[in-house]
Amino acid sequence: MPPFEPDQFESRGRRDFFLASAFLILAGILVVLPPQGQEQVASALRGTVLAPFLLIQESLHQARVRTVDISELQSQLDAATAALAAQQTLRHENTRLRELLDLRERAGPGFRSASVIRPGVRGSESMLLLDVGREDGVRVNDPVVSADGLLGVIREVTASTSVAMDWTHPDFRVSAMTLDGAAFGLVEPRSGAFREEDRLLLNGVPYYTTLEPGTAVVTSGRGSVYPRGILVGVVDALAETEAGWRRGYWLIPAVEPAAVGHVLVMVAPDVEGNERLAELWVDSLPVAPDGPEALEEVDMGPSTRSAPPVDPGAHGAGVEPEGGDAPAEGGVPVEVGDTLSSGEGMDGEGRGDLSPEEEDRGSDVRDPAREAGSSGFEARS
Amino acid sequence: MRSNRLFRVILISLPILHFLLHVGFGIGRLAPDLLAVGLLLLAREMRTGTAAGLGFFLGLLEDAFSLLAFGANTLACTLLGIAGSRSRDLFVGETLFFLISYLFFGTWLRAVLHWTVAGDEVRRDAGVSLLVHGPLDAAYAAAVGVGILLVTGAWRSDPSG
Repeated sequence: MPPFEPDQFESRGRRDFFLASAFLILAGILVVLPPQGQEQVASALRGTVLAPFLLIQESLHQARVRTVDISELQSQLDAATAALAAQQTLRHENTRLRELLDLRERAGPGFRSASVIRPGVRGSESMLLLDVGREDGVRVNDPVVSADGLLGVIREVTASTSVAMDWTHPDFRVSAMTLDGAAFGLVEPRSGAFREEDRLLLNGVPYYTTLEPGTAVVTSGRGSVYPRGILVGVVDALAETEAGWRRGYWLIPAVEPAAVGHVLVMVAPDVEGNERLAELWVDSLPVAPDGPEALEEVDMGPSTRSAPPVDPGAHGAGVEPEGGDAPAEGGVPVEVGDTLSSGEGMDGEGRGDLSPEEEDRGSDVRDPAREAGSSGFEARS
Repeated sequence: MRSNRLFRVILISLPILHFLLHVGFGIGRLAPDLLAVGLLLLAREMRTGTAAGLGFFLGLLEDAFSLLAFGANTLACTLLGIAGSRSRDLFVGETLFFLISYLFFGTWLRAVLHWTVAGDEVRRDAGVSLLVHGPLDAAYAAAVGVGILLVTGAWRSDPSG
């Protein structure tokens, strides 16, 4: 009697079963693969099989950019020229003073403009593909900004492209402060039921510091990723409180990720020294004329309001700004050039030091920059 | 009833069209999930192991753009490929009604699988994701998929069905 042999169908069925199981196991391994491994696989696929699709979107975007109204570009150029001219005198003055004080030249951030490519597939919601990469000086953790403020951060970089995540990504965190430096906190995203409901939360604000709706919140410069002064959003409403300890505030994000088609990557940002970046995004920057005492005379607009003095021993957070390097409450880091450059926010006494001619010249110099719109990049004709 | 050669050409074109619409043209959610439609239809023409492999490959391509839940699409599509292939044993599937139902429930199943596999941080509200977006996306994908098959003549409605 011949030995029993499974028939052909049974054999093929078994092979199918093992093959399907192998693919399932492989898929399971991909899910638990370390992020570096996942990024390598994804990057390899984007650079090979999916490259033609990315190229198509990039070409379409470039074509769209080329159809921008020339008059709009002209007005933006005029506004940028006016803003540059306004700052030229101050720059020379600052350079001269730095030379007198024997200070080295401060290295400003470099910006690389980039087009945003959106994959638009399931699971790619917080991801942006940018058409700049290592060859353009872009590195991992470089901030990505738009004309309205902070959008996100670079996650991966290849030779000519990079992958960024926007602020809706669950891993996004940024140390932030109010524009006057009175309150510090950590900004993190909170997802809503719909993507349109995603919001930012400013967490860890000292309990006895109250923020008024409309207060601008900018990056604090702490950590090594975001330089100081990039607009993150404005305070919307109180979100949560932990009695006697901290408050959380909803922010209206400065940038809606879905609406962004063109961004700037801040390459080699000098985290320590870019506190003046806020001027790019925030229209009215109150600056102390003569140290903390004079701050009381400055109208800070809708910003912070501290509660009555409390016993610091009773509440750990107190009303003190976090950290020892924080500016005094209500203060903005001031350097020599700042007091010379800024008349806004000064009262009559502050201007009293200037002659009428100087006052006139000062206002002439300042106005074109202000007319450039609410951000440093926008323009009006 | 269907024209086999044209049918297969169309099926292979669907995933390419999916990436063209989503990635190439950047339409995003406005474009239907033709990847699921193509995978579901191709899986019925294949053996289980091959369908799983196809699902794995197509899912991996989608995951190349997924910062949030890498691998979720791969696992979901692999399972969908297996389910699509095994569905042949349960349904003959020669009628238009079956085709519409198959594509609708298959695409919905993919959304459910993806939601299940994706991490807690990524998941949105189950009610909205699975009971609002899921069926709407599935109906849209099924309608477009059936439309493509009917318009191109790759599928002709069976008069008896």
